[in-house]
Amino acid sequence: MNAIEIKNLTKNYGEKQALAGLNMTVPQGAIYGFIGENGSGKSTTEKLVCGLIVPNGGEIKLFGKDYKDQEVRAHIGVLIESPGCYPNISVWDNMKLQAANLGLKNEDEEIRKVLKIVRMEGSASNKFKNCSLGMKQRIGIAFALLGNPNLLILDEPINGLDADGMRIMREVLKDITKNYNCTVLISSHILGELEKIATHYGIIRGGKMIKEMTAEELEKDCPTYVAIKTKDNAKAKSLLEKNYKRVSEENEYIRVYDSARAEDVVSFLYQHNILPIEVKTAKISLEEYYINLMNKGGKA
Amino acid sequence: MAKTKDFSQRLKSMLKVDTRRMFKSPLVYIMFGICLVVPVLILVMTSFMGETTITDPTTGAIQTMEGFKNVWQIVGSTSGSAMSMGLTSMCNINLVFFATAIFVCIFVSDDFRSGYVKNLFTIRSKRMEYVASKTITCFIASVGMLLLFFVGGMIGGAIAGLPFALDGFNAGTLICCLLSKSFVLLIFVSIALTFACLSKQKLWLSILLVLGCGMLLFMTIPMMTPLDAGLLHLIMCLAGGLLFAVGLAFVSKLILNKTSLV
Repeated sequence: MNAIEIKNLTKNYGEKQALAGLNMTVPQGAIYGFIGENGSGKSTTEKLVCGLIVPNGGEIKLFGKDYKDQEVRAHIGVLIESPGCYPNISVWDNMKLQAANLGLKNEDEEIRKVLKIVRMEGSASNKFKNCSLGMKQRIGIAFALLGNPNLLILDEPINGLDADGMRIMREVLKDITKNYNCTVLISSHILGELEKIATHYGIIRGGKMIKEMTAEELEKDCPTYVAIKTKDNAKAKSLLEKNYKRVSEENEYIRVYDSARAEDVVSFLYQHNILPIEVKTAKISLEEYYINLMNKGGKA
Repeated sequence: MAKTKDFSQRLKSMLKVDTRRMFKSPLVYIMFGICLVVPVLILVMTSFMGETTITDPTTGAIQTMEGFKNVWQIVGSTSGSAMSMGLTSMCNINLVFFATAIFVCIFVSDDFRSGYVKNLFTIRSKRMEYVASKTITCFIASVGMLLLFFVGGMIGGAIAGLPFALDGFNAGTLICCLLSKSFVLLIFVSIALTFACLSKQKLWLSILLVLGCGMLLFMTIPMMTPLDAGLLHLIMCLAGGLLFAVGLAFVSKLILNKTSLV
């Protein structure tokens, strides 16, 4: 069963069309990286799934049921844009409100558990308005995790987090999907972080899904390459082009694809009296893949 | 997955959220404080001033502004007395209706401005429990404000040395008067809630709308809730309050269902 299934979803804001027949499938148990430019429709999609805005057309199903189904909705954790907390009351009291909203029985125990996960147990008595941006983001994640949700919807959750915060976030998301069978829909512009955790990806542009794929499929689409830096890159490139099918130059490095081994490329250049300054083997990152895709006009 | 909760269970948890928030945030205590202090100030200050005469500089006409002669004037006037635009009929317990309207607007708008609605409505697809809970919670707070204004009036009257004589009414009708005012408060709560749901984050708009609408209704309050109110007043106000509460609850629900919440 799919956690989220969206068919032909449309949403207009006045004259502007935010979603133009979006189709999207998030399998149960997946960490779904939702990628797109600013204004591409990511947040709109998430808000629609959460029932916070009204669609103009299309169908949204959560765990096989209509998205308005109370039973399904009761098990969604959400962090969209910013955590929805009252600024003038403490973090603990905000959490207590959410616990009451969820109808949790062991409120204090559950709150302590999620605050411990995001390492905020020592700041629970602080007023929410006095928390730093990173702390607020962690609180938002704790809010979303309260009550063991089946589906987590996180919009830019990594924003404002420090390196440690990002690592915690990664661990938490991996843990809850593995141990609690929770599905995560996460949108972020920090693609390097997303790449470390996502099992599935969806790339949206102009309100339409342009590509959906698994992490394995992305792996196939992102080949490894040998990157070489020489004193005379132009000469080295023209030489390599004679021997290898796919050679390109990016950021002062010549890239040789075609499953070439680094030692073969280096020995080939030695034979032609070119001494490499730097040699490394790398893989096309999600960010690079995404930028290439966007440069191609968003056509996969 | 857990068993689906029915409406009463969901309303109970929503009420828990609202009452907790109401008593955790300073807003309600500020409003309670205002309602307690304002009548004391009104009665003490006007009794010090006594009868004030104002002369119009252009026409030369002399206007007399009469102060409070009796403590109960802070609660209202008897149905036989003439309607006036004087101090006693404007600066009395009916100010609580405006305080209530502003309180409801701020209380509801805070949900939208803080973004808490995202947490609320992601979990709750049914808007009626939100509207019903807000109506009940705000009604309780408004009755609290009314009672505190009444207490403040008694304290102020005692400090100002005003007479407590029941003239033209008795304790029973006074209770009926206060109960009628409570039920009319329900009308104000419902109107303010509907405007707040419509205005969402725009607090200024909801306050503007509710004060505009409140001005129209304000003049009818003394007629509906006189000091010598009887059972008929009580029934009429209760019916009106319930009618408005139920009717506008459906309007508010419709607004929340059909409009974007963020």
